[in-house]
Parts: sequence; structure tokens; C-alpha cells
Amino acid sequence: MPIEVVLLFAWMLVIAFLAFIACTFEDLESDIGSQSNPNSQVQLAAQVGQINRFFNKAISGEPLSNAMYCVTAGTIAWILLMQLEPLVPGEEWKAAVLAIPIGVLGAVAINMIFSTTSHCGRTAAMKRFEQPIYLDVLYGHLIPIGAHAFMTTFCITWIAYIQSNIGTLAGNPALDHPFALPLLCFVWGITVGSIGSSTGDVHYGTEREFQDRPFGEGKRVVYHGKITRYASCGVRTQKDIAGFCAKFGGPCTGMTFGLIILFTNWTTLVGMQLGGFLPNLPAFTAIGDMAAIWTIVLGLLIVAALAVGNLIFVKWVRKKCGPFVGV
Amino acid sequence: MEPVILLIVGYVVIGGLLACFAAHLLPVGGAPAAMGTATGIATGTVQIMLGAAMTGLFTAASVDTFTDSLLLVTLSGAVGATVMICVVMFMANIIYGFGAGIVPVSGRVDVDPITKEPQAPYKTPQCDGHGVPIVVFVSGSLGGFIGGFGGALMYYTLLNYANFSAGTAAIGAISIFVANAILAAYNIRGTIEGFHDPKFKRLPYALVASFAVSLLCGIVVSLTAILGGTL
Repeated sequence: MPIEVVLLFAWMLVIAFLAFIACTFEDLESDIGSQSNPNSQVQLAAQVGQINRFFNKAISGEPLSNAMYCVTAGTIAWILLMQLEPLVPGEEWKAAVLAIPIGVLGAVAINMIFSTTSHCGRTAAMKRFEQPIYLDVLYGHLIPIGAHAFMTTFCITWIAYIQSNIGTLAGNPALDHPFALPLLCFVWGITVGSIGSSTGDVHYGTEREFQDRPFGEGKRVVYHGKITRYASCGVRTQKDIAGFCAKFGGPCTGMTFGLIILFTNWTTLVGMQLGGFLPNLPAFTAIGDMAAIWTIVLGLLIVAALAVGNLIFVKWVRKKCGPFVGV
Repeated sequence: MEPVILLIVGYVVIGGLLACFAAHLLPVGGAPAAMGTATGIATGTVQIMLGAAMTGLFTAASVDTFTDSLLLVTLSGAVGATVMICVVMFMANIIYGFGAGIVPVSGRVDVDPITKEPQAPYKTPQCDGHGVPIVVFVSGSLGGFIGGFGGALMYYTLLNYANFSAGTAAIGAISIFVANAILAAYNIRGTIEGFHDPKFKRLPYALVASFAVSLLCGIVVSLTAILGGTL
């Protein structure tokens, strides 16, 4: 197999691994700030008399806020790359090593500013329910939020950089993705937020926020707002929650995004390989059509495998847990 | 009037209608699903639809670099979006099962229309179902496929008929997609399980609104292409 093709597959695996890291940290970052859906319970807690020490940042839905950070990082990095790349001809990656962290730092600064205003604004609005703004909660959570957001944005920006230059990195510039770096940051920023919101929130919202309620049942409407406020030692803050969710919810969420990135890139690359498109690239011929057909067939096979896997899992979990026996 | 303008407007309208239809098929659980209080994916309509469409768009854009067939590009977009939504639903079930010990159960039907398994005995009282049961998974997969198809169709139209650049076409397609997904979200009002949900019968109202919005978007795209000199 030609070295260009091997390198393409190798870079694809790097991207999938970065995606795993990105979405794991995205989920944990949203848990630390209780952003997204479980935020409704933190918001409700003070209103039902549950004064708490939870960090409450609902900047916006996770997809949009993550897209904003990633596009900010991507745009700053892209501008810096255009300035720095001419300085290191032939070794453009050296420019990226400097430009991407600087861009990400800019995005993290915006994240922390939004976190501060969002937490203070939301909590101040609960004055009538006698919910104080704990300054140690505010100060103590900003750095963990910033650190986790840095990891997410950093990995997404690298994914976008690799994808927009994947052909150049593998030795064939014609294979670069047609989208520019900031647009790829936007695409994956939206997707990483969408997955972090839809998958990871379950572990935080269903289990950790209601840990003193019975395990193995949906959280009833009467429980809503009555979140678990005490940890095994002292009053609970989100620093305890990140440690808990990092054991299961975070990695599961990371795997979701990692698998999606892996499958979408893998089907395309294998389709190109099977269709005979790599490494010669005859554009817009029957070979290209064949590569597309292979991509679609492989994608459908993965969908079928997931559907069967889900069917088996649902049947197994129904048998394992059995009907509801509580009151 | 040039025939290509009719083609652009027609495809944008079809893409918009498909996006709106697909959003009704997705299992949207919203905030209650994050607490295991409602069935479906624990996020909003627009958020999950957008995530799926983005993945579909990425695959479609990749495939568009080596084929010029409309059908193959749109189908690859559809499959990309379906893969995304299937992985999300499967992993959500894993977290519900292992992380919270919850059985996937539909809250809207007593018997799963596909597997014929009873749902009511497994449901927690005061909950509207939880997890992603089989019928909901099937509905969600269909939603992903149709939504991805619509998104990729609009991307292809903007790229190859209106002759936009790849970036402009992607942003244009996603913008029209979001407008239609938001219309669907207004119609859904919170949560929906899929085609078996009683709320699904509200679909015609959303399609009428979606037709109007997509038609306007198609005209704007055509005007932009003409005034921008790409047509």
C-alpha cells in the first residue's frame, strides 16, 4: 500500500483519538458549570427552597456555545497561520504549534468571561429565593472550567487543522478537505456540543444530581429541583461532580464523538480505497462514483450493526432489570 | 427566467421540507430526558438535528470532492447523519442502562409497535418514559437519514447549481436547515418520540410554514447568485 494512503489512515486515527479527548472534556466542562439540560434542576433548586453551592452557567445550548469557542479559536489560529506560515517554508506545522494554542487561549478567555457573567447573573436573579452568590464557588470553578474548555477547544481546532490539511500532511494536497479551518471548527464545535448535550448530560442529570434517590428509575416529576446537595464529606460543589462523571459519563460521551468521527472518516477513506480512487485521484469519473457507492454501503452497514446492537442491548437490559417494582 | 433558478428554488424547498419532516421523526427528549423523566435524546430539537446535519454535511462535502452525482452526494450526507444519530442513541442507552439502571421505555404507547413488547410495566410512575426504546431508535434513524438527505441536497444545490464556494454553500445550507428545524421545534413544543407519537399528527402545519420559509430562502439564494455574479 502506498505511503500516502497509510498516512491518510494514520491521520484519521489521530483525529478520532482527538475527538475522544475533546468530547470527554466537553462533557465534564458542561458538568462543572451545569450547563445545558440538567441546569434546569439547579435553576429550580433555589425556587423550591434548596439553597445550594452549585455553579450555574447556562450560557446557551452547548452546541452553540462550543461552536462559538471553536470558531473563535479557529479564526485566531487561521489568521496567525497566514502570518506565520511564510516564515517557515516547508515546515508549516511549526506555525500551527504556536498559532493553535494562542487561538484556543483567546477562546478560553471568552468562555471564562461568559461563565462569570452567566453565573453571577443567574444567581443574582434568585435573590428573591435567598440564594447567595458564593464567591469561593465562583472563583474555585472558573479555572477547572477554563482548563476543561481549553482541552476541548484545543482538540477540536487540531482536528479541523488536520482535516483541512490532511492531504498535504499525507503527501497529496488534492485530498485536503474543501472547508476552511474556521468552518471545520464550526462544524465540529456544533457536533461536539450536540453530543455532549445529548449523551453526557444523562449521567449528570439522572444519576449525580439525584444521587440520594433510588437507583434504577427515571427521576419523577416530584423530585425535580430537589437535587443532592451534600457530598460524602461536606457540602457538594461541581468539583465532586467532575470526578464522578469522569468515571463513566465523560468517557462514554467521548467515545460517542470518537466513534462518529471514526466512522464518517473511515467510510469515506475506505470507500476511496475500494473504489480505486487512492492514490491517483482521477476526478469526477466512474471511479469517483464507485468510491461514493462504497462509502454509502459501508455507512449503511455500520447503521445496521448499530441497530442490531441496540436491539440486543435493549432486550438484555429489559430482561436484566425487569419490570418496575417500586411504588 | 433561467431554468436553473427553478431548479435551485425547487431543491431548496424540497430540502427544507425534508429537514422539517425529519425533525419531527427525531426522538427529542429535551431537559426532562436528561433526568430520565421523558423518552428520547436529552437535548433540544434544533441542537440534535443540527449535530446530525453537520455530520451529514461533512460527509457530503468529502464525497462531493470525488463525484458529481447528485444522488450519491445526497445519499452519503444522509448516511453520515444516520450514523451520527444512531451512535448517539445507542450510547445514550448505554449510559441509561449502566449509569442509571434505567430500562428504555416508551411513554406514548403501551406496546412497542415494532417488537410488540409491553412498555407500561417497565415505566417509572410520574415519568413520561425514559431511554431510547426500539421504535424510537427506528424513528430517529429515519429522521437522521431524511434530515441528512435534505441538508446534503441543499448543499449540493448551492454548490453546483448556484455555484457558491464550498464554505458559502455549507453556511447557506445549514442556515436554511436551522430555520426549518426551529419551525419544527415550535410545532413539537418540548418533547416528541417519533412517528408513533400523537404530536406527529401536527406535521402538516409545520410543513406549510416550512414551505413558505424554504420558498423565500430559495428566492434569496437565487437572487444572491444572480447579484453575486455566480449564476
